[in-house]
Amino acid sequence: MMIMNRKRCALFFSIMAALIAMLLWGNIALGSNSIPASDIPAIIMGKGSGTMERNIIMSIRLPRAVSAIFLGGALALAGYLLQTFFGNPIVGPFVLGISSGAKLFVAMAMIFTLSMGRIMGTELMVLSAFAGAMLVMCFVLAVSVKIRSMSVLVVCGIMAGYICAAVTDLVVTFADDSNIVNLHNWSMGSLSGINWEMIHVIIVIVTVCLAMTTILLKPMNAYRLGEAYARSVGVNIRLLRVMLIFISSLLTACVTAFAGPISFVGIAVPHLVRNLLRSDSAHVMIPASFLGGALTTLFCDLVARCVFAPTEVSISSVTAVFLVPVVIYMMIHRSSRDS
Amino acid sequence: MPDRYGIETKKLNIGYKSDLIKDIDLAARPGEIVTLIGPNGCGKTTLLKTITGELKKRGGVIFLDGKDKDAHKPSEIARKMSIVMTYRVKPQLMTCREVVEMGRYPYTGRLGIPSDKDLEKVRQAMEWTDVSEIGDVFFSDISDGQRQRVLLARAICQEPKILVLDEPTSFLDIRHKIDILERVRSFAREEKVAVVMSLHELGIARNISDRVVALGQGRVMKIGTPGEVFTEEFIRELYNLEDMSLELLGEMPWLK
Repeated sequence: MMIMNRKRCALFFSIMAALIAMLLWGNIALGSNSIPASDIPAIIMGKGSGTMERNIIMSIRLPRAVSAIFLGGALALAGYLLQTFFGNPIVGPFVLGISSGAKLFVAMAMIFTLSMGRIMGTELMVLSAFAGAMLVMCFVLAVSVKIRSMSVLVVCGIMAGYICAAVTDLVVTFADDSNIVNLHNWSMGSLSGINWEMIHVIIVIVTVCLAMTTILLKPMNAYRLGEAYARSVGVNIRLLRVMLIFISSLLTACVTAFAGPISFVGIAVPHLVRNLLRSDSAHVMIPASFLGGALTTLFCDLVARCVFAPTEVSISSVTAVFLVPVVIYMMIHRSSRDS
Repeated sequence: MPDRYGIETKKLNIGYKSDLIKDIDLAARPGEIVTLIGPNGCGKTTLLKTITGELKKRGGVIFLDGKDKDAHKPSEIARKMSIVMTYRVKPQLMTCREVVEMGRYPYTGRLGIPSDKDLEKVRQAMEWTDVSEIGDVFFSDISDGQRQRVLLARAICQEPKILVLDEPTSFLDIRHKIDILERVRSFAREEKVAVVMSLHELGIARNISDRVVALGQGRVMKIGTPGEVFTEEFIRELYNLEDMSLELLGEMPWLK
């Protein structure tokens, strides 16, 4: 549909792009071993001094920043798709327990392959995460068909998340000690340990998902007025719903497989950008959510790395600190408006 | 099928899990207004939802513009029939113009970007229903009366041959009731659109309709002109008022 406030959109996207560029720079330069920002282009191009700096950038910081952009964008996009599906701004992949379902399945697959004496391949990681995401998604959907209340739905999602987390803990507790070290970082949510091979997979999955959402732009906009009106203008409701579920689960699975569960980006970021843009049109919300998620995740990862350096905190702790107040504000604002 | 089409049902059976009403034969020709009346739960909404496709029919045939509805693609149906439903929609941060633009969905391309022609249709429809001034206001921030006019504009710019409205006057005060139905009537007459709607207000139903379909007691009790349907005897039977005083209704000149 027509974008009403073109100026606002243009301003929003240019500020977003500038901030992402700045943060990308910061994420590469800052850390326990600071690299002068002016040296970075030369180092990346392979000129300039010091193989150590080049190593730090090329095999640690750059992949980490790139993965923050794609995974953060993926999470926020998944959140926006779920919010469209449920017609409710207070849902997201973490709140509905989808991230936790993916995490449980990845943990089990990881321990299983490790106990066989092998290292898990990226395909298996993504597949098992997707299976776990779909399992919880199906549970949440079954509940949503039976009970129309949105608060019940969210509570069920949170409960499903807790069950998955509990089982994950159980699995981890009884795993061999050497496996746990691997698992611990990841299960708290962390972008450390993502290598270029993983990034290739991430980029392929996220790009495919983004391409699929462009087909959904038109029906998603119509769906905002509810099912009956959408159907009356020719939207294939069933196909739209299946696509929304499939894409959001795949994105969530992709994030969880490589970075573990990252909380609240999926729920809070779409809400923030929606209010900054004063529009919920899919044409602006899809790119805006993606960029917003990328920006937020870059920032939170930088904080997670640097605030208590050299000790690193889990990225979920940082996202929770920054984003939970947003979610709470959202709920208060919403309930006061509805009543 | 004479009278150059519109909408027609033949032996239509409707209901959720079981048949609620069987063998419904009704027709609305281009430019005609057909109104469904009857007590709560008689099946008015069920019938309208079956016509729009929200509910599956349980038997019979629906003809849209002379062609079996089942033989249409969803996009073809969307170009023939538009709806105004009674349920309240509350899309967030969606402007009234965006709501109206949704009516152009069947005509826009894959990405849903409206062409100049689409925008012109939107502008005309908004002018017709007198909502041009609130185009940039959020749909959630306007009054019920305005909301109904915006939804009517949405239905109009879909360029339908058939317009279906489910109790378009609920939630509205008397001024807005008259206003919205006046616009529906002039749209039907001028654009030669067949209108099927349900109404609770018997007085208005009598005056606006070309034909009235009375549903009750699990069947179609009567189909006819307003003069044939609105008799005191029949209305008492339809609404189960046999042993009640109609004193509170006040002057009802059509109930002789």
